Amino acid sequence: MGKRRSQGSGQDLDMTAAMNLILILIPLLLTSMESVKIAVVNVATPQIGPSSEANPPADRPDDKPLKLTVALTDRGITVFVRDQVIENKDDPLGPTILKIDGQEEDAEGKMVDAKVYDIDKLVEIISDLKDANPAEENIIITAEPNTKYKYIMKIMDATREKKDGEKKKTLFPNVVLSAGIA
Amino acid sequence: MAEENKTYEYLPENYEEEILKSRKKSKTGRESAGGQKLNINSLMDILTIMLVFLLKSYATDPVNITPGPDLDIPKSTSLLQPAATVTVTVAKSSIVVDNEPVTVVKDGKVEASQKRGGEDAYFIIPLNKALVEAVEKKRRLEAINPTVKFDGVATIVMDKETPYRLLTEVMYTAGQAEFSNFKFATISTAG
Repeated sequence: MGKRRSQGSGQDLDMTAAMNLILILIPLLLTSMESVKIAVVNVATPQIGPSSEANPPADRPDDKPLKLTVALTDRGITVFVRDQVIENKDDPLGPTILKIDGQEEDAEGKMVDAKVYDIDKLVEIISDLKDANPAEENIIITAEPNTKYKYIMKIMDATREKKDGEKKKTLFPNVVLSAGIA
Repeated sequence: MAEENKTYEYLPENYEEEILKSRKKSKTGRESAGGQKLNINSLMDILTIMLVFLLKSYATDPVNITPGPDLDIPKSTSLLQPAATVTVTVAKSSIVVDNEPVTVVKDGKVEASQKRGGEDAYFIIPLNKALVEAVEKKRRLEAINPTVKFDGVATIVMDKETPYRLLTEVMYTAGQAEFSNFKFATISTAG
């Protein structure tokens, strides 16, 4: 009997151990595999660091840079172009784009009524600026110290490109984060 | 085997009966051992392919982020792929450099004692120390292995509730450690 089994062992490999290993490894890898895809957004150093002063970006045009700056405050978004504020006709002293009523996620992920940044209007203004300055790609983003990171990311998304149906229009993809507004 | 060969060699008169008998025997034998002799070849094929695929996708991810209640990273429409760089993670409770915790964060702030110059300073001392060490490590690698290049890029993984102030502090401190460009890790919502 023993002889017979050893002869036939070429066909019937004992796979139990290998199967155990594989069956454990697969769920382990499946659970550790991220169901989310990670992407990155490139950002340059804020101008408070000495490195950016030492090496100014080479692509900065010499002739009147646009110096598009978007500042986030608790009242809304202020857009500067060539150090001039784009004024809001209804409120010349306030931010360019006032916050509007909307909904946003709170800390627990529930949607609550809140004042939110008017992203659509910002995209409209930025898009017009891009049409007027097609070669310009830099944008400076700054914010108040207590502005949350998620809003910065939202603004970066909004100013990077505009989706017009199927067409995508690149706006200002080179982001520089500047020091906070005091 | 030897016995069976014998049967066929001599071909006794009742060989058909013998064969039937042996077949019956083998059938019953197979049935009793059926649990062991399952054909799992195709199953093994599938599992092996899955295993290789999973291992491959596991190994190629340069940035390994485990989102949780302490670290909830924002969503973005960006399509840029993450790269293998020094990673600074700013969670709700701590700052971590390449999986090594460096300092504690409380209410979106680093304690004044951890900063050079007190409350209003930008320079976070332990973070700078860890980053300078990481840069030195990269430079040593660069000296040995010419394919490794230190290009001053750091990946920042940050909780979405982090205040802008802490972000600028982290970027300033990293700037002091020769980092000039940053990649902000986000959850991709594109595609």
